[in-house]
Amino acid sequence: MQQSGKWKMLGWIAALIILLILPFFLGKYSIFLLSLLAIYALVSLGLNLLMGYTGQIACGHAGFLAIGAYVTALVTANFDWLPCPVTLLLAGTISGMIGFLLGIPILRLKGFYIAMATLAFGVVVSEIILQWSSLTGGDDGFSVPTARIGSFVFDSDFKLFYLIIPVTVIMTLLAKNLVNGYIGRAFIALRESEVAAQTIGVDLAKYKTIAFAVSAFYTGVAGGLFAFLITYLSPDAFTIELSIDFIAMIVIGGMGSILGSIIGAVILTGMQQVLAGLLDLQVLIFGLSLIIFMIFMPRGIVGMIYDLKERHS
Amino acid sequence: MQKFKYLSTFGLIVLIALFFAVAVNDVNAEVGVTDNSILVGCSNSFSGPLVYPGTQLVNNGLEAYIGYINAQGGVNGRKILTQYYDDGYKPQNAVGNTKRLVEQDKVFAILASQGTGPVMATVKYLTQNKVPLLFPFQGVPLSGQKTIFTSFTPYPNQSELVVTWLVKIKGFKRIGMLYQDDKYGYTFRDPAKKTLAKYGLKLIAAESYKRGAKDLSAQVAKLRKANLDACLLVATPPPGATFLKEAHKQGWKNTKIISSGPLTDEKYINLSGGVGEGVWGLSLWPDPVHSQDPAVIEYRKIVDKYGKDRDKTPNRYSLYGYFYAKLFVEGLKRAGKNVTRESYIAALESIKDWENGMVPPVSFSGSDHLTQNSGFMVEVQRSVFRPISGWLTLKEGTLTPLKQ
Repeated sequence: MQQSGKWKMLGWIAALIILLILPFFLGKYSIFLLSLLAIYALVSLGLNLLMGYTGQIACGHAGFLAIGAYVTALVTANFDWLPCPVTLLLAGTISGMIGFLLGIPILRLKGFYIAMATLAFGVVVSEIILQWSSLTGGDDGFSVPTARIGSFVFDSDFKLFYLIIPVTVIMTLLAKNLVNGYIGRAFIALRESEVAAQTIGVDLAKYKTIAFAVSAFYTGVAGGLFAFLITYLSPDAFTIELSIDFIAMIVIGGMGSILGSIIGAVILTGMQQVLAGLLDLQVLIFGLSLIIFMIFMPRGIVGMIYDLKERHS
Repeated sequence: MQKFKYLSTFGLIVLIALFFAVAVNDVNAEVGVTDNSILVGCSNSFSGPLVYPGTQLVNNGLEAYIGYINAQGGVNGRKILTQYYDDGYKPQNAVGNTKRLVEQDKVFAILASQGTGPVMATVKYLTQNKVPLLFPFQGVPLSGQKTIFTSFTPYPNQSELVVTWLVKIKGFKRIGMLYQDDKYGYTFRDPAKKTLAKYGLKLIAAESYKRGAKDLSAQVAKLRKANLDACLLVATPPPGATFLKEAHKQGWKNTKIISSGPLTDEKYINLSGGVGEGVWGLSLWPDPVHSQDPAVIEYRKIVDKYGKDRDKTPNRYSLYGYFYAKLFVEGLKRAGKNVTRESYIAALESIKDWENGMVPPVSFSGSDHLTQNSGFMVEVQRSVFRPISGWLTLKEGTLTPLKQ
């Protein structure tokens, strides 16, 4: 037991080191892409905590991404002395609180109804951003000031990488902790059977709203990083399609799995990159691929790997 | 199970690293220019809400004219190569695509990207990296940047032009407006108010609607009661059409309706189901379908032969792409064989009174990077916008005719 634990630690550390020295070997565009991937992985993680672990369908996470992004942009613009990690924390917290408030009425709903309610939420957020143009710039958009900690300015994709990756890694580790702890097990109990979970004393309402809040927190922080990376926000960035993209990530990667969240983000972003040059065919191929994934790997890539492992053991 | 898990995470990271190192080629080459080629491109809408303007602009506009030029042997011995990516009108995709074009594909310049959001999102990055941004299809004024050249008459200028014409040429005094209640609407409304104030007038009635509104009957009623000479319509095609239909329904006849900017297009007439007769507007282009100007006839011929989109109906978007490809090539010709980004910008700035047969002669300078600052008034007659004035511009607030 101790041996495998030690190997596991070494594995993680090695992976982390490779990740941190990568920017010295890659071109600027690759660094940008990796950063975007980390951000999407973070959203994917948050969404998986809600959908994969507690089984509630959420189709409006682009809304939380938007909230995190705009809060970060506005706070940085008006309080530029605040170090950006604090701003990100603030963005995540506000997003989390809204998620909590959203979770309260939603927890009475089931299945499709949660999907519809969250879908509506995403649209409402986008619309508010659009209409409240005196604050957000509406249609014309909002230019995001550069992230800074004191006098250190993250004014290049290279520097931003060293903000985005550490944040993503830390939050991934936190998620792992959460999932392996009491809360995580309560989540899984919720997913498997709400009735059974209640019977063994899991407070349904409490854990459902916690799930929403945590998920929203993660997506809010990702939104802040997104704002710093893209440097320009407009309501067109946060559409229903983006919310569906996030769902696609965890379906492809594997629901209820942290590794699955990351794999899903990698594959989806990778596919979009490869297909971007195909113009007319992009949407078609993307849709077809999703269908194929659903048919042959309904439990995602991680699910498929576990199945293979099961068969061979 | 444990070992497998850490192995897979480790392997995953290595895989990602390999993918980026191998698949993404970052060889240092001259920026977009070789002895026999020059590479340009843009991120544009090949899907999403602006798919029609985007595909027409690129496939039947840029690609048509560039195909024609390449068939003649290119410019100064170089063929023009192109690379496009789809952003679906999403700013974050536009940023990603543009970075890819600049850093991975190494384009010489970004040519004719589209949409306020997607374009504005890339401005900071492009100016910081000194990559020329040429003629993006959007109406927000963008000036003071050495590497940016803008295209059509910006919206505030359009508003000023129209209002001045209504007051000075038509002698109208009672002018009102329906506008979309957001930045787009204000971009037309505020210059209109300022221009009216110059002549001691004000907006007699101004009604607004929220983007996406479907019922404009209240606004129409109020504007009609105000007994206006003219009413400016600052809207996108769907509410614009709704407004016209409602005005027709309420029997509102004695006020001239003026459409603004991008509203002045065939699509808008068709949407309103025939009640657009008599509506005025400001046009920035000759009629792509009916105009018999030699340059426009040539445009139709070239699109027909070299255009890459199946739908070859002449329209203002492919015309835009065609015209600005032509302007781009003009700059290339003047820059000569030894072209760099700086020498290209200087070449464009040297253009004075470039006759093109479509819009008034184009001039640039060190301080003026705006291609077009003019328009002409049109009226819907038998479902088509027909000219009712010559080309006009404003020189220090005075309407000045221009020759084409």
